[in-house]
Amino acid sequence: MFRKILIANRGEIAVRIIRACRDLNISPVAVYSEPDAAALHVRMADEAFLIGPAASAESYLNIQRIIAAAKMANAEAIHPGYGFLAENAEFARAVTNAGLTFIGPSPEAMEVMGSKTNARRAAVAAGAPVVPGTNEGLKNLAEAEVLAAKFGYPVMLKAAAGGGGKGMRQVATESELRAALEAAQSEAAAAFGDSEIYLEKVVARPRHIEIQVFADQHGNCVHLGERECSIQRRHQKVIEECPSPINDADLRQRMGAAAIKIAKAVDYTGAGTVEFLFSDVTREFFFLEMNTRLQVEHPVTELVTGFDLVREQINVAAGRELSFRQADVSWNGHAIECRVYAEDPENSFFPSPGQISFLRVPTGAGIRDDGGVTQGDEVSIFYDPMISKLAAWGRTRAEAIDRLRRALDEYAVGGIKTTLPFFREIVRDEEFIAGQLDTGFIPRFYERRADRRPPSDNPAAVRQRDLAIIAAAVAYAQAQGALATNHQPPANSKWKLAGRAATLKRSATEPSEPFNG
Amino acid sequence: MKLLAAINGAETEVNIHLETESVHAEIDSRVYDVRLQPADGNRLLLISAGQVLDCRIEGELRSGAAIEVVMGTNRYPMVITDPKRWRSASPAGAHTSGAASIVAPMPGKIVRILAQAGDQVEVGAGIVVVEAMKMQNELKSPKAGQVAAIKVEVGTTVNGGDVLAVIE
Repeated sequence: MFRKILIANRGEIAVRIIRACRDLNISPVAVYSEPDAAALHVRMADEAFLIGPAASAESYLNIQRIIAAAKMANAEAIHPGYGFLAENAEFARAVTNAGLTFIGPSPEAMEVMGSKTNARRAAVAAGAPVVPGTNEGLKNLAEAEVLAAKFGYPVMLKAAAGGGGKGMRQVATESELRAALEAAQSEAAAAFGDSEIYLEKVVARPRHIEIQVFADQHGNCVHLGERECSIQRRHQKVIEECPSPINDADLRQRMGAAAIKIAKAVDYTGAGTVEFLFSDVTREFFFLEMNTRLQVEHPVTELVTGFDLVREQINVAAGRELSFRQADVSWNGHAIECRVYAEDPENSFFPSPGQISFLRVPTGAGIRDDGGVTQGDEVSIFYDPMISKLAAWGRTRAEAIDRLRRALDEYAVGGIKTTLPFFREIVRDEEFIAGQLDTGFIPRFYERRADRRPPSDNPAAVRQRDLAIIAAAVAYAQAQGALATNHQPPANSKWKLAGRAATLKRSATEPSEPFNG
Repeated sequence: MKLLAAINGAETEVNIHLETESVHAEIDSRVYDVRLQPADGNRLLLISAGQVLDCRIEGELRSGAAIEVVMGTNRYPMVITDPKRWRSASPAGAHTSGAASIVAPMPGKIVRILAQAGDQVEVGAGIVVVEAMKMQNELKSPKAGQVAAIKVEVGTTVNGGDVLAVIE
C-alpha cells in the first residue's frame, strides 16, 4: 500500500480523497494555487505545495508543477479527483513516466473514451446498444442533412471531444440544421480545440441513467448499479439518485452487463461510469459515453451499496484485487444528492462569489455532506462554484426525500447566494416526489413554479415580514449602541486613565470594567 | 426608536421600544411583544407568541444601506432608514454654544456616574455608563462646559432616547 498520495485537485473532492487517505493511514499531500493558500483541503493535508497562480491553466492544470510537487514530497501516487487533469491521458502518462502511480485507468482507455466517436465505436464493438447516429464526425452539411433525414428529426448535434453540454445543439427541422451545425462547430472549437461534430437521434423523454463500474488489474470487473441524473440544468447535473426511481432489478442487471462489456472492451481499471440514455416511452437504453474518473455524484452509490469508492480506487491502483465481487453487491434503500453551488437561483444562476460569513452544515440521521469550505472562506471567481454535495439516505425514496428536505431547511450559508432555495422547492415539487424525472424536468418545474407563487399579503406572510423588520430594527438599534463605545477618542493619557480609575474605585458598587483607552 | 423599513420599494414605519430581553414593536397599528436573546454580531433570536425566529442579518447595518434579514429559510431584503441620522448629518462641533443633552442610545441600566452637576468637563469626557445587551457603553460629553444636570442615578433603568444628563 502507498504511504503518501498527492491529490491533484481542490475543493470538496480533495477533502473527500484526504479522508479516504486518512482511513487507510496514508499521508495526504495537497497542492494549491495562490488564492487557495488557506483552503480547507490545504488545512486538512499533511503537506501542501504551491503550484502556481489563480488561473487553473497555470496551477491545477500544470502537469510539470504537480509532478515536481509529488517528487518533492516523495509521494508514491497521484489522485486526480474529477475535472482538471482527471481525464487527461497526457497527465496519466507523465505521472507513470515519473515513476509514480496514477490513480485511475490507463491512458489508452482514457483516449478511447475521451473521444465520443471512438467511444461509440468501442460500445458498438462490445455489442452495447447506442443511440442511432453516426460513428464518425460529420464531414459537411450535406452529409448531416442526409443522416438527419434517415434517423428522423429531432436530432442532436454533439461535439466529439465534448462534455458539459458545450457544442451541443438540438435540431427540430432541416431548416435549422445549417445554423445549428455552425454554432456547435465553433463552440466545440473554442471549448475543446476540436470542431468535430457527430449526430444522434433524439430519444423521447430521455432519462439520464449511468452505471458505476469498477475493475481491478486482475480481471475482475463489477457494476455497482445505476444513478439517475435526469435533473439537469443546461446539461449539468444538479440532483442525482441511487437507485433510479424506476428501480427495476432486471433493467439494472441488463444495463450493468452492458456497462461491464464496454469497460472490458478497453481493459478498464479503477472506477468508471458508463452513461446511458433511457427512454421513458420505449424503455430502451442507449450508450452515451463513459467517464473515466470518479464522478461528482459517487456518494449516492456509496450510501446505497456501502462501499467506499475512493478507498477502493486506491486499493486497485496499489495492485490489490477488488475487495468485493459482483455477488457481494446489493442495494439498500435510496440516496439523493444535491449539488450546492454558490449561484443565485433568483438571478439565472449567476455565480455568487464572496466570503462565507456564516455556515451551518446539516447533520443528523441519514445525512451526508461532502463540503470543501468552512466559515470565513472565500468562494473565488476562479474555480467551479460548488461548495458542497448534500446527500440523504433513507430506507425508501420517500424517507430519503423527507430527510433531504429537513437537511436543506437546516443548511444555512451567509454572505453568498447559493442554490439551496432552489433545492428546497424541488424536494416539495409533486413531480419530483412522484419520481417523474427526465431531462425536461427543470423547464417544466419552472412552469409549475410560476403558477404557485404564494400570495404575499395573507396575515401569516405579513406577520413574518413584520418580524423580519423588527429583527432588522433591533439589530440596527444594537449596532448604534455598540457604535457609541467604538467611537471613543483614541489614546487617552496615562494620567487621565489613572484619574478615571481612581474615580471608579470611589463610585463602583460592582466590579469595575476596564475602559477602552 | 422610530425607523423606516423599505421592502421591495414599499416603506413601513416601525416603532420599537427595546428592553434588555424583550422588544415592543408597532408596525401600521399591528403590535408585537417579542422576547429577545442578546445577539452576537449579526445574529439574534426572537420568540414571538411562542414562535421561534432564528434571525441573521446580512450586510452592513447602517441607515440607508441594503441588508437582508434571513429568518429560517426565508430571506427579506430591505433598507432600514433612521430619521435621526438625517438630522445629525452635520457633526456637532466641540465648541457648540447652548446646552447639549446626553441621550440613552438604547434601553439599559445606569451602572456608573462619572461626573457630578457643576463639574467642568472636556469634550469626550465620560459622564455616565449604561449597560445594555450585556455591554457597557460610556456616554461622553459632546462639548466642553459645565454639567448642568445629571438626571439619573446608579441603578436607574432607562429607555432609548431618555435624557441622562445636560451639559451647558
